[in-house]
Amino acid sequence: MTPTGNVLGSTPRRADAWEKVSGRAEYVDDLSIPGLWFGGTLRSAVPRGRLRGISRRESFDWSRVVVVTASDLPGPNEVAMVRSDHPILAADAVNFVGQPLALVAAPDRQTLAAALGALVPDVEEAPAVLTLEEAQEGRTVIWGADNVLAAYVLGDEEDAVAEAFSRADRIVEGTYTTGYQEHLYLEPQGMVALPREDGGVEVTGSLQCPYYVHRALQRALGLEDHRIAVRQAVTGGGFGGKEDYPSVLAIHAALLARASGRPVKMVLGRNEDLRFSTKRHPSVVRHRTGVRSDGTLCAAEVDVLFDGGAYTTMSPVVLSRGALHALGAYRVPRARVTARALATNTPPNGAFRGFGAPQTIFAVERHMDLIARELGISPLEVRRRNLLRRGDRLPCGQILTEEPGASLVLERAQALAKYETRHGTLRKEGRGLGLSLFIHGGGFTGSGEEKIDGRVAVEIGAGGRVEILASSTEMGQGAATVLPQIGAQALGLPLDRIFHPAPATDRVPDSGPTVASRTVMVVGRILVGACEDLAAKVARRLEEAAGLPEGSVTWREGTFRGPGFPEKSFEGVLDQWKDRLQGLRGEGRYAPFPDLHWDDDAYRGDAYKDYSWGANVVEVAVDPDRHTLTLCAVTAVVEIGRAVHPLLAEGQVAGGTLQALGYGGMEDLRIDDRGRYLQDRLSTYSIPTALDAPDLVVEIAEIPSPRGPFGAKGLGELPINGGAPALASAVEDATGVFISTIPITGERLFAHRRDGLSDEPS
Amino acid sequence: MILSFAVNGKTVTVEGPPLRRLLDVLREDLGLTGTKEGCGEGECGACAVLLDGHLVNSCLVPLFQVAGRSVETIEGMAPQGSPDALQRAFMDEGAVQCGFCTPGMVMASRALLRENPSPRRKEIRTALAGNLCRCTGYEPIFRAVEGAAAAGYEVAPPPPAPEFRVTCTEEGRIAFFPESLPEALEILRQHPDAVPVAGATDLLPDLTRGGLPGPHRVMDLTRLEELRGIREEDGVLVLGAGETFASLGRSPLVRRLFPSLGECAASVGGVAVQNRATLGGNVMNASAAADSPPVLLALDARGVLVSGEGTREVPAKELWTAYRRTARRPDELLTAVKIPRPAPGTREAFFKLGPRRALVISRLTLVCAARLEEGRWRGVRIAVGSVAPVPHRLEELETFLEGRVPEEGAVREARRLAEDLLRPRTSREYRRDVGGNLVGRFLSSWISPR
Repeated sequence: MTPTGNVLGSTPRRADAWEKVSGRAEYVDDLSIPGLWFGGTLRSAVPRGRLRGISRRESFDWSRVVVVTASDLPGPNEVAMVRSDHPILAADAVNFVGQPLALVAAPDRQTLAAALGALVPDVEEAPAVLTLEEAQEGRTVIWGADNVLAAYVLGDEEDAVAEAFSRADRIVEGTYTTGYQEHLYLEPQGMVALPREDGGVEVTGSLQCPYYVHRALQRALGLEDHRIAVRQAVTGGGFGGKEDYPSVLAIHAALLARASGRPVKMVLGRNEDLRFSTKRHPSVVRHRTGVRSDGTLCAAEVDVLFDGGAYTTMSPVVLSRGALHALGAYRVPRARVTARALATNTPPNGAFRGFGAPQTIFAVERHMDLIARELGISPLEVRRRNLLRRGDRLPCGQILTEEPGASLVLERAQALAKYETRHGTLRKEGRGLGLSLFIHGGGFTGSGEEKIDGRVAVEIGAGGRVEILASSTEMGQGAATVLPQIGAQALGLPLDRIFHPAPATDRVPDSGPTVASRTVMVVGRILVGACEDLAAKVARRLEEAAGLPEGSVTWREGTFRGPGFPEKSFEGVLDQWKDRLQGLRGEGRYAPFPDLHWDDDAYRGDAYKDYSWGANVVEVAVDPDRHTLTLCAVTAVVEIGRAVHPLLAEGQVAGGTLQALGYGGMEDLRIDDRGRYLQDRLSTYSIPTALDAPDLVVEIAEIPSPRGPFGAKGLGELPINGGAPALASAVEDATGVFISTIPITGERLFAHRRDGLSDEPS
Repeated sequence: MILSFAVNGKTVTVEGPPLRRLLDVLREDLGLTGTKEGCGEGECGACAVLLDGHLVNSCLVPLFQVAGRSVETIEGMAPQGSPDALQRAFMDEGAVQCGFCTPGMVMASRALLRENPSPRRKEIRTALAGNLCRCTGYEPIFRAVEGAAAAGYEVAPPPPAPEFRVTCTEEGRIAFFPESLPEALEILRQHPDAVPVAGATDLLPDLTRGGLPGPHRVMDLTRLEELRGIREEDGVLVLGAGETFASLGRSPLVRRLFPSLGECAASVGGVAVQNRATLGGNVMNASAAADSPPVLLALDARGVLVSGEGTREVPAKELWTAYRRTARRPDELLTAVKIPRPAPGTREAFFKLGPRRALVISRLTLVCAARLEEGRWRGVRIAVGSVAPVPHRLEELETFLEGRVPEEGAVREARRLAEDLLRPRTSREYRRDVGGNLVGRFLSSWISPR
């Protein structure tokens, strides 16, 4: 479809701006529901063991509450996700501290707390596996035969890689470690479930993926499709944290609602949220690389290890994306990536913006710096010599047929920050400059989009306004603004004639989850198809009304035209015919690209429809006494095809970059010897404040892509990939210490310096 | 208890226990759900509202202290339903994403612009540092505040509050509202279990964490004029125990005489906490990580404890007796802290160690004071907090330095000694190293010109 409107690339006010800035937006905890009960969870206090039973203290009046245990479940005891290993409530095996054992609903919070305190679980404790090392050793097996939740091998045959290594002038090896990260959406997880008279259930909550929740409820409750409705309340941030966990909470709330016959609300306090919701997978990534003396790469072996926590949840998918991004934005003639996610007796880790890529991009970016260091060339130069160009092949076999933005973003970022002239000159002032170059694949991996087979509808509603029916959710990133922009562009409508309300599964088709930077690129493209379909249907109506034969009115370049038919815009038609067109619906469906292929079994092919590119330059000051970091200035340049809403796009980049810098710097999250998070409050888990945020320069570059609507590509996750390695690189420039582990806390930097890992001339 | 206060200019009458959080009253009793709960311990600012014009975290304000006061929430910003200029700037600059921090962020910006109509970027950062945002990277929010200021945004004064009137209804749980110090002391004499409450910024999170109902009797200290004031009396600075860290941080007298105390005050939590937390509360709560005790130790301050029996002044060294224990008797009240005017030429330094620049629970607080007399260090006082159950002076180090000539060797020795004397339970090596470095930084200021 030819772009017809002028809405794309403009910066209208967000659709949800007023309700949010006025405090009127209703988040799940703001909903006023008569007769509401409160739900809570009894959790395991031991990391691993066998649940022998739960006794009820007789001193409590149990008639005042309802209690649900595993034996009360109406369907299979599983939270439907990638696998079925994650129980709704522990029935027998307990696998992490905090695992739900029983649920309670009560008319008020005091009674709820009293009831939870009067339930006494009897758990026989067993030896637990708490770290990746223990999981790898396998002395205690807690999952499957070998603690391996998922494994992949990717790239060239071993022989070919070995042969390529033999042509290297030098072999460079490094090991890189990343820690946990908490999403810290400002609004904690929350869900309300209402029992329906037909035995069904209606759930409203803070969530990213209404159909994930819908299917999890269907499986758990054994209900037919039409007896479940999942609605999204205004959602206060997700970042992946509301991709999988809301399914757990929704099932719990729904079970309690059905047991009590009342609406039940479960909103986690921050402490409960921090302790038991999912986190970013900790990782250990090993690189072994063959390089020529001029710095060009000839061969690489990468081994990726992720800590998945107690159950599968999203780990295989996260690991897959991590493996596919393991060589970053670089051309490696022969490469092999092995990847495993292991189980530990800790809360399950899950989706988090970047989805495995931030870990492996951190490793490869640091490794490129190590190569530069060992060869005595600059980090900028080693990137220039190896960055991906048109026609290059990725380890998965994908040939980049479009012009990659790698060189563009790298050169622009380094020029804006004057990296080339300033790098290596700031150490005497206690400051340093670091660089990163990164990539992110838009949409689901491999054949994921084909499997999702997403649908979008557009419907002409009352007053001649067009409603977008898509399951994509607004969680702050701007979906409720940019999807209408895409639709308005496609139909040549002013923006106030088209809107995208919060989805409900009894109203909208399944467009797939709101994840993987796919909303604009993939769902937006389906939306354009739906708009085309709507325009075609409107043309038929116009023909009928004018008594013209089918095919005589066409929709082209924003105008309906035909012989003997006065040219009309879509808006003009809506103005004139709104009542007669009301209810008319256009439908769109994901259209595969015939030239892109993916082989699931061989784990090979076109891993992503297209890639977005980014480069960061970070300037840091290191306190010589405290070993702590101050972010001075950060430059972020991204290439995202086409920016639908440049201001919102900049906001995504700014927020994602700061989140990435928190990941690399201050966001320290560790477990104790029971697998409990040590930093489980906002007073101990530190994210950047307004005083910590650097002066930030964001620039958006555009190379329109043929894979997304009007040239747009994925954006949401890209900015989280580059901050941590650029920060580490800057610390190296400032101190001479090569950092291979994040977060770079003061304590860690101190330890590095003490251990003499410095290149400072003595 | 039943009490009245103003919300957005309208008088409301509310019934509830004294320690019920203002946040819950607004959201549940008054249906004002624009104010959000993000953490329940004053660490995120999502629940920020204005109390008598000052930014506060409503999760840290107990109901009984709101009686007769004026509260402004996000709902009062645009009563006519059309955006006010600040809200418009937030919308236009992309300062709103998920929206959950937005009401608190707008209130914090409003509080700033009421006090400072054309703030610089640094001042905006400081004013918003207690309000976390995870979406925007803050940049668009800074632009919105600057934009509103540039457009001449004017903030009306806080709406008037109704008369103070309170009825205690519930037998067991009682709040006292003394209007004078003698009255307060009499209450303490009769009810030694009554808990004096000033800013409540430690009390409420402690209760929330423990899930406890709280003390049966509480006594509001915020109405006692005797606990107010920052003044100099005969070469001694007298700080009312009820003064907030905000007023200490702003006081020219404090800033001039005791820069370390000024820095300390500005380092407490974020603005909303500084507006509520008092010096007296910080001293008497006796947290091991409290910010002010090391300053008071290093400045040789004295606490003024008053009871019906009389007044006694306790040196800072004797104020904190054990973990969360003080020298205060149940019938006593800390009314003031006195700090003797420093000898001429005294230099001070306040250092705090934490992972970020605001909302920091200190991992090491180090406060140093010393002067040079005839080429030798005199009056050396070095105090530490957060590294032991009780804040204390490093007396061995002070003795070592007293009378010594500033030179590299002495600094080196002092660093080593400081490291030896610091014995934190966790992260020992790191915190010792930092302690030694900071002592070195302080002492080196006499050697190499800064």
